[in-house]
Parts: sequence; structure tokens; C-alpha cells
Amino acid sequence: MPLISEDLTDTELVARVRAGDRDAYGLLVRRHAPVAHRTAVLLGAGADAEDVVQEALVKAYRSLGGFRADAPFRPWLLRIVANEARNAHRTASRRVGREVLAARTGGDPEIDRAADPATHAVSSARRDQLHAALLRLSEPDRLVLTCRYLLELDEGETSTVLGWPRGTVKSRLSRAMRRLRTEVGDDA
Amino acid sequence: MTLDHELRALGRAVAEPADSQVDDLVGAVLARVADEPVPVARRGVSGWLRERWRALTAGLAGVVVVLALTPPVRAAVADFFGFAGVVVHTTPAGPGPTGPVGAAPGATGTDLASARAAVGFPVRVPGELDEPDGVEVSGDRRVVSMSWGGVRLDQFDGALSPAFAKRAGDVDRVMVGDGQGLWFPGPHEVLVMNRDGSERTETARASGRTLIWQLGTVTLRLEGDLDLARALAIADSVPS
Repeated sequence: MPLISEDLTDTELVARVRAGDRDAYGLLVRRHAPVAHRTAVLLGAGADAEDVVQEALVKAYRSLGGFRADAPFRPWLLRIVANEARNAHRTASRRVGREVLAARTGGDPEIDRAADPATHAVSSARRDQLHAALLRLSEPDRLVLTCRYLLELDEGETSTVLGWPRGTVKSRLSRAMRRLRTEVGDDA
Repeated sequence: MTLDHELRALGRAVAEPADSQVDDLVGAVLARVADEPVPVARRGVSGWLRERWRALTAGLAGVVVVLALTPPVRAAVADFFGFAGVVVHTTPAGPGPTGPVGAAPGATGTDLASARAAVGFPVRVPGELDEPDGVEVSGDRRVVSMSWGGVRLDQFDGALSPAFAKRAGDVDRVMVGDGQGLWFPGPHEVLVMNRDGSERTETARASGRTLIWQLGTVTLRLEGDLDLARALAIADSVPS
């Protein structure tokens, strides 16, 4: 693959894909695979994360004709990943409750093979505590905190990924943060 | 360290996929899309549609009423907006109809299993909601309706022919999953249509806030005391 393609923006790559260049889609996949994978894991796909990401990327390709060329590609893609992850999770553990979610993501070996040194600034006991507290929150609270902080998306991206109006993201975020503080006992 | 920094650290603790995993992913995705048609930009139509949406729908009432006399053209109009089985008439904003949410004509109460057996399309229950309090199948077996307190979900095979006509002062296009939906933020009038496409005026009833979207050939309409965020959360939770 020519090196120069690595320098193309997402918008330029999307234009090439729509002009019939499938290799350009390979570059988009490569560029967004890590964040797509994290999104799938953190939104509950657990061990199915790889399948979820692959499925979402195929669906994204099929939907690319309707993608607004002036919109950012990443949140559009992550929304498809998020829906796929939530569907996979529901299929696997519909109505079985939080225990299953905890077993699938809480004890997730993926979370312990930490690559980033920043991770070590937070002890694993504290990470477990935060993770358990997140699982006790309502789904909307958990989703907004996951997108905004764990996935480090900005408010606009979070709004696209969750399909919520921006004002809703803002108000849910501060409410969810208050609830999380209460859960971990930080406000005591 | 503040709580938001700790959350970021927790997110980064998710292992990145290994290079070999990414290579495999790229290979698998490209192999699967190799025979797919090129996703040519639908900008010409959809960009124009987005810009012209309000103007278009404002002028639509007359257009659809005329076209409704010619079934094939009417069907094309319904398909053009992507919601088989629904025709939208817009009327100038004004006081909407009021009154209770009614049932589809000839509807009889039943349970989920019998409803699934009675109709020729998949009947889904949103993951966000529990088992419905009530389930009904319309007399002509085209519509399955479920209710939960103040929320109602209708599902019907839109490929058959337009089943509902809606008259609304305001309608917005929204994303549902990776497809399009229509959001009616205020009260509007709904009519159930005859099989030949004519409206049954006696079935007119008031409808609250409503979200309409499609899964395959099945069109779903969710109605009730909901804001858009809640409606989208329920829509997202319908198994595809």
C-alpha cells in the first residue's frame, strides 16, 4: 500500500472508498480499529468484541453511501460499533441482570493487560472499585460516562455515538458523575 | 487525581488489539466487502433532501393527496422517504387533535406467542422494556400493537402497502441505529388505511409524540409519553 495514503484524512479516504477504492477502506479500518475495539469492550461486548467490531465495520461499509461527507467519520463509525455491541450483549444476556455484565466485563482479562503507563497511576483495586460502581449505575449513566471519559470522546462525539441531543449529553453527564461519586463514596 | 482522570485511566486499561489482530481484521473486513457494491455517495439525493426537507414536507400535503389516487406512484413516494407503509401529510402548525390513544380497527387482545403466530413478519420486543402489558393484532392481521403504561409500539409489514397516514404540523428526521427515522415531536393525527390505500376516516385518532423507523421491511412506530432521547434508547434496544 503506498505510504502516502497514510497521510490522507478520513474525509479523503471516505471519498476514495466511495469512488471504488477498497484499499482505502482497509486504511480506515486500520486507523480506527483500536478505538472501535475499546468501544466494543467497554459497551459490553466482552469476549465477542472482535466479532462485534468486524460486523460493525462491514455494516459501516454498506452504509457509507449515506454518510454525510462533511461529518466526522469516527463518531459515525463508533455509533455503529456501539449498537452492535449492545445488540451482542443483549442477545447473550438478555434480562439476566447485572451479574452477567459484571462477569463479562468486570473480570475481563482484556482490562488487565494494561498497555498504557497512565493506567498504573490508578491501582488495580481502585480500578475494580470504579468498575463495580459503574456497573451499579443505570444504563444511560454508564453509557455517557463510558463515552465521555473511558473512551475520551468529546461532547459532540458522545452525542453522535449515543444518538442523544447535545444538551441531554451535558445534563446526563453531570448527573451521572454525581451518582458515580456517591457510589464510590468520594463525596463523603 | 480527579475522578474523571481515574475514569480515563480505567478506559486506557483496555488492552489494544495486537498488530496481528488488526491485520486479521483488515483482511476479514476487506474479504467480506469484496463483493459488495461500491458505497457510492448518495449525496445528490440525500443532501438535497436534507436541505429541502422542510420545504418539501410543507408542500407535501397536496402532493400526496393527489398521488394517493394513483397507487404505484403513492407507493414510490412512501419508499422515497424510506418508510414503507407510512405516508406523511403535513399541515400548518396549529392545535393538534386531542383524545385518547385508540386501537387499530378490529383489534383483538392476545398474547405475544399468538401474535407472532398470527402475522407474517418478525414481532420484536425492545430490550429496554419488559414484557408488554397488552398485545393486540389488528383485524386484518397487518399490525401488531403492544402497550406498556403510557407507551405503545406498533409493528407492521410496510412492504404490503401504506398502512398509516399521518397528518402532522412538525416532523424531524433522526438517526435510529444506522438508519433513518422520523420524529413527530407533537400531537398529530393518524389514520389507518384500507388495503386499497384509501383512508378510513372513522379510524382517525390523536397520537402523541412518535418515532417511526424501519427494520428490514417491518416498520415500527413508537408512541407515548417519551422524549426523543428515551424514544431512541428504546428503538436502539429493539433486536434487529
